[in-house]
Amino acid sequence: MDAPETDYHNAPVTTAQLPDLWTLETEALSPRYRWLNMLIVAVIGCGLLALLSIVRYQTLLSLPANLLATYPFVVTAVAVGTVWALAYHFLADPCIRFALREQDLVLHKGLIFKSIGCQPVLRIQHIELKRGPLERLAGLARLQVFSAGGAVHTFEIPGLPVVQAQKLRQFILSHKELNAK
Amino acid sequence: MSINNPQDEPANDVLPDVGSDVSPTDTVQIDTGRQWRRLAPVAIIYFVASSLKKLVQFGLYAIPAIAISFQTTSISQSRWFLPVLGVVCALIIVNALLDYLFYQFRVRNSHVEIKSGVFHRRHINLPFWRIQNVKIERPVYYRLSRFAVVILDTAGSANEEASIVAVTRDYAAQLRAQILNERSDYLAQGEMSEPTPTATPAADERIINTRSIKDLVLHGITNNRVWILLGAMAPFFDELADMAGSYLGRQGLQLEQIVGSDTIAWWQWSLYLFTVLIVIMAIMGLLSVGGALLTYYGYTLSKANDRYIRRSGLLSQQEVSMRQSRVQVVTIKQDWLDKLLRRANVFFEQNKTGHQPNQELMAPNKLLVPSVTCEQAKQLAADALPGSQVYPRTYSPITRFYLLHNLIVRLLPIALLLGAFAWYAKGYTELALVGGLTLIVMLIVVLRYWRWGYAIDDQYLYVRTGCIGIDYQILPLYKLQQVVFTQSLMMKRRHIASVKLVLASGSVRIVFLPESAAQALVNRLVYETESTSRSWM
Repeated sequence: MDAPETDYHNAPVTTAQLPDLWTLETEALSPRYRWLNMLIVAVIGCGLLALLSIVRYQTLLSLPANLLATYPFVVTAVAVGTVWALAYHFLADPCIRFALREQDLVLHKGLIFKSIGCQPVLRIQHIELKRGPLERLAGLARLQVFSAGGAVHTFEIPGLPVVQAQKLRQFILSHKELNAK
Repeated sequence: MSINNPQDEPANDVLPDVGSDVSPTDTVQIDTGRQWRRLAPVAIIYFVASSLKKLVQFGLYAIPAIAISFQTTSISQSRWFLPVLGVVCALIIVNALLDYLFYQFRVRNSHVEIKSGVFHRRHINLPFWRIQNVKIERPVYYRLSRFAVVILDTAGSANEEASIVAVTRDYAAQLRAQILNERSDYLAQGEMSEPTPTATPAADERIINTRSIKDLVLHGITNNRVWILLGAMAPFFDELADMAGSYLGRQGLQLEQIVGSDTIAWWQWSLYLFTVLIVIMAIMGLLSVGGALLTYYGYTLSKANDRYIRRSGLLSQQEVSMRQSRVQVVTIKQDWLDKLLRRANVFFEQNKTGHQPNQELMAPNKLLVPSVTCEQAKQLAADALPGSQVYPRTYSPITRFYLLHNLIVRLLPIALLLGAFAWYAKGYTELALVGGLTLIVMLIVVLRYWRWGYAIDDQYLYVRTGCIGIDYQILPLYKLQQVVFTQSLMMKRRHIASVKLVLASGSVRIVFLPESAAQALVNRLVYETESTSRSWM
């Protein structure tokens, strides 16, 4: 299997001595990430409301009465949904925080269901910087990191300022562990 | 990534024996030189078979339609039937001939190159070092010849898979040895100076495990549980039939009328039905056993250097090899029937490649040793992952909050809601049904809680899961790809957390651990992975 390592040592390690993921300083994403998400939600919500109102109050077509009766309910539902999503992004987006360590990437996220993910650099297969049109407008980028664990387990840090994302990518690409194999 | 540059091109245009009928010598030359080679003519059979296979796969959906049209408009009597059949056959044969003529390959400078396709031309160039696995298959129609199909598997997507359709078995074996050596050389280029295994695959190959017909029959019985379930229901068939009959009767329909005979009484008729069902179940059981024999007849698992080689098959022989270092997880699966018979299935799991349908027993990323005894299972696991010991071992249980969460937070509201609906609608049978289902789910939850456990030693993490059966997973700590620690606010207040480990073969979850244990586990896994910097391949 593995060759005998020359610098083999096997000193006992107690778990208390190990580097700890829970006492780690994490960095925030770009504040624009939260505003961008909220803006998208607001635009979609208002757009839907406008569309519904146009259909409701236009005079070209006559709509069935029972469809018209649902209008207030639908509008309320859309409005509540929009406010809910706005509140969610307002509260949850700042919970996404990341940290870069010498050997791995760490991502904290979640408002109610919190998770801490850790991606060792030496297991990274390839990296992608993704930028959608809106993200480009806001000067943001998503860093996607793929390991052999498969596409389902893609490790993604969203909402990074472009320059920072590029720096992160460069750090990972020039990491010695990644180039060892 | 550094790439093995092709060395100075040896200008050999000598054509070695690949597909011609010269008797093979011990040292078959791998390199085919600069000229493109054609396959041995036997390959035509392969192409015919593969287009037939495609036709069947494609036509599977059309079968009901065809069957109906056969019934309604006697197609076979039509004067078009034979000519059309003839044309289809001719098309298949012409297609196979064209495939054969347009298929060319060469192997040189540690690269396999294949050109194929008539309209849709494909040119595949595979460097040896990128080939993850080499499979040698001998389909039924090759059994009498000395040819084999070599299937080259890359880590990339499924459409990068390539196969050399007809080469002699000796050539196939040599090619495989060469490719796997090259690959281990490539992997050894890193910090590890692995002694290169010499190209003598058969010399130091030793057999680790063989399966007798008895084992395979057991495997066939234990791995198709449908018929057993049906068998358990058999005593109720009569009543079920009665119920169905009386129901139909109430709708004004007499089964006797349908059967159209006064001489056969209703009970006789149901007896016939019962017999027929028993016969069907017996056939299904036999089919399952037959399937096991078909796939695993003559099963040998052997080990050469650092590779496991599985050979099996009654009609089509398969030879699959897997490097020991690429085993990510060893799983020992024991279902309830396996437990009764004291057997277990052992899986060596390597990384998943592309999108494969996850057929448990035939998945190419898993190497199965069917129905071994528990002692053998333990030994096999220890062979693949040296120093591991699955049992006896004490497993730490998960916390009782698993029970609380699943029973009270998840199950109870749903059960109450459904029950209330049934009560409100005065559907007492439905109410009983809800109650029964709730009880069953409760039992499953309790059993799962009872089974779930984990243990960790110097090198390995052991995870025990299951419900009625037991599954053990053994994974080397350093093969971790990614780890995720999750905790809801509720769990945080009670100091509980779940851990998900991502490995190249899939993910493993341990839920509702004490928070400190989960944190220690994550830190330990990350430390083992990063400090040793050993390859997961």
